[in-house]
Amino acid sequence: MHYQTEAWGAYMAPRTAGTDPLERVERLAAENAVVIFSISSCCMCHAVKRLFCGMGVNPTVYELDEDPRGKEMEKALVRLLGSSQAVPAVFIGGKLIGPMDRVMASHINGSLVPLLKEAGALWL
Amino acid sequence: MASNNNTRRISEVGLSDSEPSTQHLVYGVLHGISPPSSNFIDQHGSTAYDFGELEEALIPKVLQNDGDRKPLLGIHPPPTLEIFPSWPVRYQPTPRAHSHQSGESTTDSGSAQNTGSQLEPESPVSSSQKSQPNRRSSDPSLHQKQERSDMAPAPSDSTAHHHNQSKTLVDKAYVQQLESSKIKLTQLEQDLQRARAQGLFIAGAGGGSNVSSGAAIFDMEHARWIEENQRHMAELRAGLNAHLPDTDLRLILDGCLGHYDEIFRLKGIAAKADVFHVFSGLWLTPAERCFLWMGGFKPSELLKILVPQLEPLTEQQFIGICNLQQSSQQAEEALSQGLEALHQSLADTVVGGGSLGDPPNHHVTNYMAHMAIALARLANLESFVRQADNLRQQTLHQLRRILTVRQAVRCFLAIGEYYSRLRALSSLWASRPRESMITYGNSSQLTSSLQMIQQQPPHQNHFSTF
Repeated sequence: MHYQTEAWGAYMAPRTAGTDPLERVERLAAENAVVIFSISSCCMCHAVKRLFCGMGVNPTVYELDEDPRGKEMEKALVRLLGSSQAVPAVFIGGKLIGPMDRVMASHINGSLVPLLKEAGALWL
Repeated sequence: MASNNNTRRISEVGLSDSEPSTQHLVYGVLHGISPPSSNFIDQHGSTAYDFGELEEALIPKVLQNDGDRKPLLGIHPPPTLEIFPSWPVRYQPTPRAHSHQSGESTTDSGSAQNTGSQLEPESPVSSSQKSQPNRRSSDPSLHQKQERSDMAPAPSDSTAHHHNQSKTLVDKAYVQQLESSKIKLTQLEQDLQRARAQGLFIAGAGGGSNVSSGAAIFDMEHARWIEENQRHMAELRAGLNAHLPDTDLRLILDGCLGHYDEIFRLKGIAAKADVFHVFSGLWLTPAERCFLWMGGFKPSELLKILVPQLEPLTEQQFIGICNLQQSSQQAEEALSQGLEALHQSLADTVVGGGSLGDPPNHHVTNYMAHMAIALARLANLESFVRQADNLRQQTLHQLRRILTVRQAVRCFLAIGEYYSRLRALSSLWASRPRESMITYGNSSQLTSSLQMIQQQPPHQNHFSTF
């Protein structure tokens, strides 16, 4: 699991101040095989992180409460997920998997592992 | 619990208490528990609990309804206050008619327990939980006591002696009444608990009730769900035995699975109303609660029990089951760790409200702020219960997907039977002989209690499926 900050942005083309938060979310999600949007104090986010680590996956975690534009991203996620809970939000291979219950459901019905393998997050 | 406090207070009241205060105390106890249970008591029309008559004629009058008391499981209750070898004629309103009962009542104050258990035969709830053979026939000392009470000192004795004697007897009468009230109270409490578990307890926000309305409603719905589930199980079994074609079995199975979806939906609503009721498994019977994990059963544990019952499995099925077991274990582990994180953050927040060595009013603002944060943390419990239920629901659905129709029918029958047995175990546990009455080495008591349970009506008899 590694935590990303927007420091990466310094090495890339300068961003315009008015980047749409949803675009930003999607851009960040596409950069790694497994991306989790989280809040550091959220216990369910902790649970989803533990789930992936327990499977041997190394997810990229963005703590929205530690990001200066985290509030906007939270709102964008709320709209994207269609629920009042923005986090945890899991993306695999750039595609939205969903909140915790969707992640668990896909793990139980056996669809999570193939997705992870496809995205290159799992090699076994 | 309020009623426990009242029970304690009753036993603490000494002989020196004046008559009216004791009466009020007992009244207070009754009223403390009566609103939610008034339906329950009224059902039986028992006047044995009218302690208002205490003022007039003390025990004889109050216990006159002990006509057909029945002890628990045919066991002789222990004599707790053997201080009434005889009862003076003077204190019997109708000596002849009541001496028999008074004689009985004075043999031991364990008879008060019998009064309490007098509820049992009339209650639709507890009749399924306890059966008590009539103790009267087994009491050889009855006639002797009756004779003795008839031989009590006649009013023609010296008045002074009689006055002193009567005063002591009045005091002793109170003690015995308090004893019997205490026993009746515990009996009532037990009945209430059982009634609640069986879904007959509709509390609302009744005074003295320590059950929230959301919780009470869910308990009732759960009881109804269990009955409905038994019906589904019976249908499945009948379908299997009748060798119905797969298409028909599939329909019944889908109905069964849909019924499981229903309880998870109800649990979700209940968790919103009262998360601790669901989380702590208060809606479950004790034996089920033994296995409690985050407000319900642990999917991987259930799978472990089921796998041997499902054989023979094809290799692909077996792999599927193994994967299911592994993924449910991983999900459970993740949720448990999330809950641990919740514990840690909650503990930190509570401690952060101020040094534990100082009293709260030392840093009031800080304390209240942390309490507010702690409240928010506690609210997260609901999402954990919800995710755990989601996990359970997904596991059942995946199980259905992996198995063939016939295998799935046997699988769900096995699940139903397993929990039915756990509930039966809880019933047995609730009606087991107590240490003070019997040693555990006495297996004949257990056998007789098992026999009693078997005599219950089938729809209430958990053993009917054995």
